Amino acid sequence: MVFNTGAALLDAIVLAVVSMEQDGTYGYKITQDVRKVIEISESTLYPVLRRLLKDGCLEVYDMEFAGRNRRYYKITDAGTAQLNLYKSEWRIYSSKINHIFKGRNEQ
Amino acid sequence: MNRKQFLYELEQLLKDIPDNERAEAIQYYNDYFDDAGAENEAQVIEELESPEQVAETIREGMSESGGEYTENGYKDARFQNCQQVSAEYQKESKEKGSQKHGNPDMWKFWCIVLLCILLCPIILPLGAALLAVVFAVIIGILGIGIGAVAAAIALPVAGIATIGYGIYKLFLFPAAGIALGGIGCLILAAGILVFLLVLWIFSKMLPGMIRGIIFLIRYPLRKAGIIR
Repeated sequence: MVFNTGAALLDAIVLAVVSMEQDGTYGYKITQDVRKVIEISESTLYPVLRRLLKDGCLEVYDMEFAGRNRRYYKITDAGTAQLNLYKSEWRIYSSKINHIFKGRNEQ
Repeated sequence: MNRKQFLYELEQLLKDIPDNERAEAIQYYNDYFDDAGAENEAQVIEELESPEQVAETIREGMSESGGEYTENGYKDARFQNCQQVSAEYQKESKEKGSQKHGNPDMWKFWCIVLLCILLCPIILPLGAALLAVVFAVIIGILGIGIGAVAAAIALPVAGIATIGYGIYKLFLFPAAGIALGGIGCLILAAGILVFLLVLWIFSKMLPGMIRGIIFLIRYPLRKAGIIR
């Protein structure tokens, strides 16, 4: 990938990934799901999750799994609103970029 | 290094951040190793690179310094050159930079000039010989060109003349007349071929050769940075 993923886009991708699981999801799975889409190092995601948690976009709860406590991340109402904002912004942004790329090709 | 050592070192490296923050981070990576499974432990450690790297990422995330999370990890544009800049642009700016501090290049240039003056007794005869060779080659090519042009004009003329003579002979000796007409056609055909060849050489090869010569002359000058 030649394009860098900025902080806002990474936030949006993480929120989208977490929102896909109704009952929440956990750090390892979030990392794997995000890595299906963009190339990020494994250590990149913790600060993002931490910040989203602090901003109230995500909430955590612990649930027992295989004899231990696993931390689950779940999207909040504020997080859903933020994700919707990101989605609409992305639609505008990507359509503009697509438009200019297409225009260039047709010349 | 195994998982236990990794987490222990990470904890040591995070001694200076608040206790709850440290506990959160350790809990996260503990979970991470659990969920990755024992069989992936080595791979996870390799991808996390080192406890130092992970600690650095956590600390930078806490400082909220306005950097950016990129696919290659955390980047702060204020301290680091933007990676999006293409290699070409970097090269260009480097060239600009070297022009700004162009003194070493000028020194090199004057050194070469001085060297040329000192080596005059050797360079002059050599240069004269080289010039003579180049001149001879150019004259040779020109000779071939003139010959080709002459052939391109003379052959069709000769062909037409022979055909005319053949037609005249046809009335006296039909066999010889037909043979002459045939030979005339062959000569005319050869003439047209040569004519087309000359036309092609002049339209295609000549501009290419001139461009090549110009490039050869420009190349050392551009390398020395005298012209761009």
